[in-house]
Formats: sequence, structure tokens, C-alpha cells
Amino acid sequence: MVYFKRALALAALAAAMVALLLVVSWIVMPKDNTTEAGMEHAAANGILGEPANTIDLCVIGDSEAYRSVSPLLLWKQTGGTSYVCATSAQKLTYSKIMLERAFEKQKPKVVLLETLAIYRTITPGDVFLNELSSYFPVFRYHNRWKTLRAQDFTGPAQATATDQYKGHHPTLNVDPCQPGQYMVPTEKAAPIPRLNRMYVQWLKNLCDQHGARLMLMSMPSPVNWNYSKHNGIKDLANQLGCDYVDLNLKTEELGIDWNQDTYDQGDHLNHYGAIKVTNYLAKLFGDMGVLTDHRGQAGYEGWDEALAAYAKDFLR
Amino acid sequence: MLSLSSYFSAAYLGLFLPAALALYWVMPQRGRRAVLLGMSFLFFWAVSGKLLLYLLFSILSMHHMGLWLTDLQRSAAQALEAAPKEERRALRTAARRRQRQVLAFAVLLQLGVLVGLKYSPFFAVNINSFFQLLHLSWQVEVPKLLLPMGISFYTMQAMSYLFDVHRQKIQADRNLLRLALYMSFFPQIMEGPICRYDQTAPQIWSAPPIRRRNFALGLQRCLFGLMKKIIVADRLNLFIQTVFTQYENYDGFVIALAAVGYTIQLYMDFSGTMDLAVGTGQILGFQLPENFRQPFFSKSISEFWQRWHITLGAWFKDYIFYPVSMSGPLKKLTGRARKRLGNHFGPLVAGTIALFLVWVCNGLWHGAAWSYLFFGMYHFACILLANLTGPYTKALKRKLHISPTNKPYLVFQIVRTGILVCIGELFFRANGLRAGLEMFEKMIREFSLNSLADRTIFTMGMDKMDWLMVAAMLVVVFLVSLVRERGKPAGPRFWQTYILPHYGLCCLMLLAVILFGAYGYGYVPLDPIYAGF
Repeated sequence: MVYFKRALALAALAAAMVALLLVVSWIVMPKDNTTEAGMEHAAANGILGEPANTIDLCVIGDSEAYRSVSPLLLWKQTGGTSYVCATSAQKLTYSKIMLERAFEKQKPKVVLLETLAIYRTITPGDVFLNELSSYFPVFRYHNRWKTLRAQDFTGPAQATATDQYKGHHPTLNVDPCQPGQYMVPTEKAAPIPRLNRMYVQWLKNLCDQHGARLMLMSMPSPVNWNYSKHNGIKDLANQLGCDYVDLNLKTEELGIDWNQDTYDQGDHLNHYGAIKVTNYLAKLFGDMGVLTDHRGQAGYEGWDEALAAYAKDFLR
Repeated sequence: MLSLSSYFSAAYLGLFLPAALALYWVMPQRGRRAVLLGMSFLFFWAVSGKLLLYLLFSILSMHHMGLWLTDLQRSAAQALEAAPKEERRALRTAARRRQRQVLAFAVLLQLGVLVGLKYSPFFAVNINSFFQLLHLSWQVEVPKLLLPMGISFYTMQAMSYLFDVHRQKIQADRNLLRLALYMSFFPQIMEGPICRYDQTAPQIWSAPPIRRRNFALGLQRCLFGLMKKIIVADRLNLFIQTVFTQYENYDGFVIALAAVGYTIQLYMDFSGTMDLAVGTGQILGFQLPENFRQPFFSKSISEFWQRWHITLGAWFKDYIFYPVSMSGPLKKLTGRARKRLGNHFGPLVAGTIALFLVWVCNGLWHGAAWSYLFFGMYHFACILLANLTGPYTKALKRKLHISPTNKPYLVFQIVRTGILVCIGELFFRANGLRAGLEMFEKMIREFSLNSLADRTIFTMGMDKMDWLMVAAMLVVVFLVSLVRERGKPAGPRFWQTYILPHYGLCCLMLLAVILFGAYGYGYVPLDPIYAGF
């Protein structure tokens, strides 16, 4: 009886702790998907504010992705809708979270994973914290105690905002480089950590469950990419049964000019480089029949407005 | 592989420690020992991999040498008993010499690995600098060596065991596994406390079952350590890193704040780790030695070192200071100095020589760099100055009618000690001795409160709320320290009788860590500072 009472008391305490965590989680959760409301990576999370089932292509990955793919240019050329859910130095643990969030309201036909994230080390600690924060968001948004307002205790959580460039981060700056022949063929394959492989598999499964096709793509970057990484990703893509496109092998076809198309000496593409990559994607996905032309359709008016603003800033 | 390079990593706190405790809990006594030993070696291997061989070498050599010393002592005792009276003196001298030779060899084995791995790059760099100074083209290759986890800590433990066996304070242990557990015990191998064999080995080996009260109190202690580390030390990390790496850009106030901040960070990191180690021991039913006793209540640098990293200070006192100051030549020196310099300054001569050695070792123990040696010499100078001026300050106090219990004077002493400690830590943390000197000069010459007035202080890795949180936690730690300083309070009756309120407090502490901890996006966790020594 004594043991039963003790066990009951401990169970009650554990339940109280869980309840407390849930309440605190609810309080610190951003009540909107804006930076002001405390949302992390508001541009990437702008997908939460897009009308339901309007995005055909979802891009995940790190800065290589958000610098290289311009959804508004893709819209201009094909009428297809896309969103870049990429974040700086994104780890696959966060890619999974972004993808889960994207699938909450959207049914993209293709998910494009930029491959540099596959080589970014993830630790069991990252996994632990990410999984925990999916049950108790306080682990992700705990820092919001600094900016709590009255409505955080009362208001409902909603997502009203989207990003003006649909997650793309364009820049007109130019800082050239002379990479020479950086994709020197080799038989070597850069090893991918086991945990990272598991995560890519989970991303693939998630896409399968939601009827989307996972595609791996390496954006041009002489600083970050080489042939052995290409081989590593190619092997992985073969194992998973995914398509893999390495744009580092197609820089001539794309017309990449490293004197003009990078803003940080070959680390990332700038706006001019992004135009070339997006042109290629427009053709690729056009051929694959992935992107539906939504121009003129009801519910997509916002895209034209966003394109007009983007064109004013970048497409003069 | 699990990332167990810190006691505060999610892998350690979320997987390794719970698994070790759960296994320990379900096992019978023999199994519990096996769990402790197995988990300790698994932990070492997970962090240091093949470097586990160095630990095995230390364990095997101390086991063998300890037994050798005991055998020598036993056979000497038998021979003395059997020998005629007139031969005993010669026999005793010969036996002592032999035992000292064996002890020296045993210590050399332990110290050789430490010196070879930790100090040889430092020696090589300095030899090369010396050659360069002489315009010689010779170069010694600087070795790039990996250090096994906790080598500075477990080597000290091994040496204390050998010294204690030699002094016949303890019997050499025939049980290799018990020694192995004493050397490798996972909650303390990375950062201490530096245990003594007679204090910890028997109780760890006894592997008592987990008791409910121990579990609650140990958990409470662990969570307090977690609060110190994750809420304060990690929060200060960005600010400290920013200022110490780009000190040229900041004024004296910012540098002074960084020196104070680093002292706080070091204390919160190290004492937090000790809370976790001692707390884990408490959960398992062991009492590991305390490493901190409210150091910032110290009234002098000498007292500070009796309250900060206590087990290291005690080690140096027992195995360097006393043996050196009580050695034959220094005893003679004391006798002669006493006649010439009087009863205060006479004994100081021998004591100062021993103290100098202690602080050279203390500085070098922290790392193979001139800045650490300077750190040691700085504290040596502070203590020496206090020793030399002792009679004069006493006389001055008497003249001014200041009693030792005068509260404003006590506060003055505590603040003065705090400032001296912060200056020492500035040199300790600076990127080299030159940087330390430049920072110190800047702190004095370019002191201005501009960064506070224009609020740029809140843009150096910590915003206003971060500073407020650090301040709030300092108040909590101060209050807890004050309560401890005044002796353990009994607390209300329900607190002593029931365990559930302790678990309730644990829940609140855990919630504080989760909510106010400096982890995740925007923060850089601090690598365990003392694990690098």
C-alpha cells in the first residue's frame, strides 16, 4: 500500500510537470508567424501563412537554397508556385520540422532538398532537443520569456504573414571568384554520417506519406562543393530511389559566370546567379510537369502583387 | 557516436546518465559495481576512444607499484624485526631509500604520460623560440597530441594513492577492479573533484542501493548545477567570447565587466559541474568531496584558495607544500632564518619556497602556457604580500581600532579579494600573456562608461534581459551561499520529513532550466572549461 501511494504521488508529480510544460509551451508559442510575435526564421516560416494547398514546390535546405531559388521568378516564368523553407546553416533535424510544418497546410508535388545540409553534422543532442520540442514547444521558444505580452497568455495562435520573396533572400552584391575546375572527377565518395542518412530517409518517408516526390539538388558553390561530395550524394540518392541533380556539373549549361554571379567569392549565388538557377528549374520542372500554371486563377492574386514588388526591386 | 564531451550535453543528461542510474537501480550489489565500472569505461571510451589505453596504463601501473611498495614495506618490517638492534638503523635507511626509489619510479610513470602528452608541445614551442632568439636555424618538431579525458585529474588521484601507500596511510589495494573504479568513476573523471583513495574507493566499491531520500536530494543538487551552468555560464558565453577576442574595440569598463563576467562564468561552470558530480554521487549513495565552499566570501586570496577548487589545493598542500617545507634542508633553513629574521619572517622563508613551488605547479596544472604560469605567480605574489605585510596590517588595525569582526571591514576584505580574483581571471582567460597585459592596461587607462550610457553594452552578445537574468540568478546563488555559509539550516519540519516537496522543488528547478536556459537558437553553449585542464 505504501509503495502504491508513493508511486501514485510520483505519477501525480510527473503529470503535474507535463501539464506545467504544456501550459508554459502554450504561453511561449508565438501567436503569429512574424518576427515581432517571436517566430524564428520568419521568412522560411512564411509558408504557414500561405493559403492552403497552393504551393506546388517546396525547397528545404540551408543558405545555398534560399540564395539560389527565386519562387517569384519561377511564378513569372511558369505560373507554378513554390516556397523556400530554407534557413541559415539548416540541419536536417530542422529540415524535418520545416517539412512537417509545410505539409500541415500544403500538398507540394515536389520537395527539393539542397544537399549541403546533408553534410552538416547533427548530434544526438540536436535530435533529442528537436523531438522534445515537437511535444513541448517551450524547448524551442523558451527565449520568448523576454518578450511576452498580454496576448501571449490569452490570444489564439495563428499564422497570418508570408514572406515578400517567398523565402528567397536575393542580393545584388557582387564579390567575384576564380574557382577554376573545382569539380575534378574522383572515385572517392565523401561519407555521410549515419544519423544524417537516417534523417534523409525520414524526409523521404514523410514525402511519400504526403504524396510528394523528394528530389536532391546541389546548388553551384565552389567553396562548399566537390566531386567526392557529389559521389556521396549520388550513392545516397540511388539507395533512396530519389532524383539527384548536381548543378555544379552544369555551371556551363546554366551560364554561371563567377565574376558576376556570386556575392561572397563563390560561397553563395547572388541575384544574377539565382536567375540562372531558377531558369533551369523552370525548364526542368516544366519538362517534368510538376508545376501547374496558376496565373489568373482565383486565390493566387497575391503572387502577382508579390512579383510586381520583386520586379521593382530586382528585375529592372 | 554519442556526443558525451560535456556533462551538460543532451546525450549525457538525457541518455547516458538515466541509463546508468536505471541499470544501477535494477542490479544487485555485485551487478551495481559492474554497472559503475562498465559505464565508467564506456563513458571514457565514448569521449576519448583509443586513448583509453593511457588510463589503463595508469591503473595497471599504480596497482602494480602500490603492491610493490607494500611488499617492500612488509619485508622491511620483517627484516627490522629479525635484525639485531645495532643493524636496524642501517637497515631502515636502506629500506627507506629503496622505497623512495620505487615511489619515484612509480610517480615518474604517472607524471611521464601527463608531461609527455600535455606539456611536450609547450616545451617544443619554447625551445624553438629560444633557438630563434639565438638566431639558430634548429627547429624541434612540435608534437600534435590528443589528451585523454581528465588526464590531469586522474593522474593526481593516482599519485595521491601512491604517496599515501608510501606514507603507509593506506594499504595498497590488491583488487584491480576497485582501483580501476576509483580512477575512472564517470561522474567525476572529466573535471574532478580530485578524490583520495581512502575517501572514495571503499564507498564506491560498496555500491549501496539507491535510497529515495538520496535520490531526491541528489537530483536537487544536480538541477542546481544545471541552473548555474545553463542559465548563467552559457548565457555569458557570447559576451565573454566577443570581448576577449576583440578587446581592442572595447573600453575599460567593458573589459572590467568581461573580467568579472568571466569570473562568474568560471565559477558557475565549474561549481555547477561539481554540483552535478556530487549530486550524482549522492543519488548513488556516495559522498564525493566538495570542491567549493562559498569562495566569494573569502577575505584573502589565501582563504579564497581554501574555498575554490578545494581538492586541488589540498592535493598541493599535502603532497608538495608540506613535504617541501618540512624537508631536512628547509627545516635547517627555517632554524637559521628564525634566528636572523625573527619568529614571523624566519619561518616565512621556507614557506615561501614551498609556496612558490605550489604555485608554479598550480599554474602549469591549468595548462601549458605562459599565461597560466603568470596566473600562478600572480596568486603567489598576492599571498606572499599578505604574509609579509601581515604584522603591519595587524598593527594598523589595532591603531585604528578595527576589530576582526567589524562588518564594514569584512565587506571591504571580501570586495578586495573579489577584485584581486577577477584581475587574476582576466589573465587566465586572455588569449596569451601579452593580450592579458594589454587588456589590463586598457582597463585602467581607457576606463569610461560610454558603452553603458549609449547602451552598446546590450549589443555584445547579451541583451538587457540576459543581464537581468544573470543578476537574478546571482541573487539566488548568493542567498543559497549565505545560508550554507551560516551553517546548514534544518528547514521546516515538513521539508525534513517528506520527500515529495523536494521533488516539487526539482520540478520548478527543471522548469527554470527549460524556460530560462541559454540553449538552442542564438546561443553558443560553453565548452566545459576545467575539462580542458
